[in-house]
Amino acid sequence: MNKLWIDERYCKGCLICIDVCPTKALAASQEINSKGYILPVEKDMKRCKSCGLCEVMCPDFAIAIEEVEG
Amino acid sequence: MAKKIGAHDGENRTHDSYFLKPGRYYLQGNQACIEGALMAGCRVYAGYPITPAVETMEYASQRFPQVGGRFIQMEDEIASACALIGSSWGGVKALTATSGPGFSLMQETISIAVMSETPMVIIDIQRAGPGQGYITASQQDVMQARWGHHGGGPIIALAPSSVQEMFDLTIEAFNLSEQWRTPVLVMVEETVGHMREPLVIPPRDAIEVIERKKPQDLGIPPQDYLPWGHGVVAPMANWGDGYNVNFVALVHLEDGNIARYSPQANYHCVERLQNKIEGNVDEISRIETKFLEGCKHLIICYGAVSRTAMEAVIEAHEGNGLELGYIRLVTLWPFPEEKMRKIVGNVDTIFVPEMNLGMMRHPITEALRDRCKKVVSIPSFGILHSPEYILSRIQEETS
Amino acid sequence: MLKYLKEEGPLGPRLPLIFCPGCGSGQVLNYTLHAVDKLIEEDEVRRENFLFISGIGCSGRITSHYLNFDSAWTIHGRALAVATGALLANPAFKIVVFTGDGDTGSIGGNHFIHACRRNIDVTILCLNNGLYGMTGGQHAPTTPLGAITTTTPYSNREEAFDLCKLAEIAGAPYVARWTTAHPQQVIKSIMKGLRKKGTALIEILSQCPVHEKMSPVTLLKGFRTKTIHVNKAKESTVGKTFIGEFCDLDKREWNESYQEIIDQFLRTNDKIDE
Repeated sequence: MNKLWIDERYCKGCLICIDVCPTKALAASQEINSKGYILPVEKDMKRCKSCGLCEVMCPDFAIAIEEVEG
Repeated sequence: MAKKIGAHDGENRTHDSYFLKPGRYYLQGNQACIEGALMAGCRVYAGYPITPAVETMEYASQRFPQVGGRFIQMEDEIASACALIGSSWGGVKALTATSGPGFSLMQETISIAVMSETPMVIIDIQRAGPGQGYITASQQDVMQARWGHHGGGPIIALAPSSVQEMFDLTIEAFNLSEQWRTPVLVMVEETVGHMREPLVIPPRDAIEVIERKKPQDLGIPPQDYLPWGHGVVAPMANWGDGYNVNFVALVHLEDGNIARYSPQANYHCVERLQNKIEGNVDEISRIETKFLEGCKHLIICYGAVSRTAMEAVIEAHEGNGLELGYIRLVTLWPFPEEKMRKIVGNVDTIFVPEMNLGMMRHPITEALRDRCKKVVSIPSFGILHSPEYILSRIQEETS
Repeated sequence: MLKYLKEEGPLGPRLPLIFCPGCGSGQVLNYTLHAVDKLIEEDEVRRENFLFISGIGCSGRITSHYLNFDSAWTIHGRALAVATGALLANPAFKIVVFTGDGDTGSIGGNHFIHACRRNIDVTILCLNNGLYGMTGGQHAPTTPLGAITTTTPYSNREEAFDLCKLAEIAGAPYVARWTTAHPQQVIKSIMKGLRKKGTALIEILSQCPVHEKMSPVTLLKGFRTKTIHVNKAKESTVGKTFIGEFCDLDKREWNESYQEIIDQFLRTNDKIDE
């Protein structure tokens, strides 16, 4: 199951990644972080197909998907 | 006819073979500055047509490709000045020539060049102004040369007075721009631009050409390179040198960081730029003097006017007993105040003949007010002062 | 792609990028680096030859001090003039120009037209958000008729420029328009533009969530629904913006052509013309 990495230094909570994910594997966090942003969190990473759209469309280079076997 | 200069039908043509051989030539001032630029290593010219600088451009369009350089006519003067920035940072010395109206358009870019410490040379063949003015000669841009670009950074400006100096001082302009990493202005009157005189061209290896210092020459690797550090004049890494340099004209710290603004950083940045030029006036600025010993009155002049002023001074010494001293400002900016104060004793009146209503008279007055009773301007418009006119004005004032 | 950014400087971190949350500028930088990365990986362009030049505005901040390449942050509208000068010095530079709709279509209009006419080897990425973002949302030559902006409080009475048509007429051989909601198309077009020897204009409709006062997700959805591919011109186009590749020609590049002038002086057999 793939793993989601969010760089909290760079993410500004624009939530574009959640919207463009074709399998809806991500969701918005219930919490606001110390910068006042709502970050994306894993919703159901079994659905993640490693398409890379979230990484390409992130305006802040703040998201990465780690491909994990199994 | 101009195409014949430099062109030849012989064997073994290389770009080098198109340089003018040492000897005596009969050229126009506007052409001589191009020959000087080529000798100084300039290989890019980007310009826009404006009277009376057009011949410079036309001659450049013929000569630059002959020696392996590139010429382009840009869509306006702003584009020309910006192309100079691009070329200089791309590693190649660049030149443009314009007149008053175009010079005004270039001011923003000159200010950018001052802040980013970009070596480049701009020649202003001054015409009458303000506005469209007329196409006859003037010296009306000499204050704009110092203060026209916004933000008040320092600048170097030279004032040639002959076709020979159009050649020599253009080379000096390039050398100063490379040595001090600054734009350099060559302030010419239309008179000097359009006149034709004998020009002596020395052998190429007798001409001193200064190149900008680069960090790779000083053994500074990319990870240790501070774009605005390592000394009074920072070594300049160009695009393509492998240093991943960013050109920027915001207030900056030594490492090029523009995000950390503070009033201290702002002051430090501006003060460093100011001191780089104004703190080295003695090395940068040149003057010429004659008949200073015990003179009663003094003429301080520059550019084309110095030719006729010299005639007037010689006439005075041979003829009517007026004890006139003579100082010519070869460098207008930075203004050589200390140099002049060292050599000028007490005189009666200082005369400043200019082709404007009195511009350089202001720094002259500031520098020498306590050495004289008064400073008097001798203006002339549209026509070069004649020696008789200068002498008659002096006689009026002193009798 | 972080290897292409200068994350740290000697005096501290340079990131996060200065752009507002969800700004299209960050996305365009991401797409550009993907395109550049592919060309470097496939050995088509050497990394040292890349040169990124930007103008002023939010799009101008893309070069700022973030890029691990040679770059330039020049004056408003004049990025193309500086690019022309750089190519005169070294025609081998691979130049990407980041510019905005005001930077290209207003103050830079003249330089834009002539760069396209001369066909110099640059790839122009025009980030079009329909207004002047950095200074607070004033209208631009690309603001649609009727829009309310800070300088058109009674609705905009001016027609908007079609920058792509302008570039085509001026002579650019590769012209395309996409949006930030079309990442793969943008990346492919940037690669095409970089590969083409000549002026390439890629206009990218880019969202400004702050001045449009809508979420970035909503604006991206708008880009998908309110645009129509140029090849589908037969369908209804009312209220839609054309996207797609408008032209893709082969034309002589300026510096290539000028090289012939320089080279003629080395030929030993010809007589020089008067």
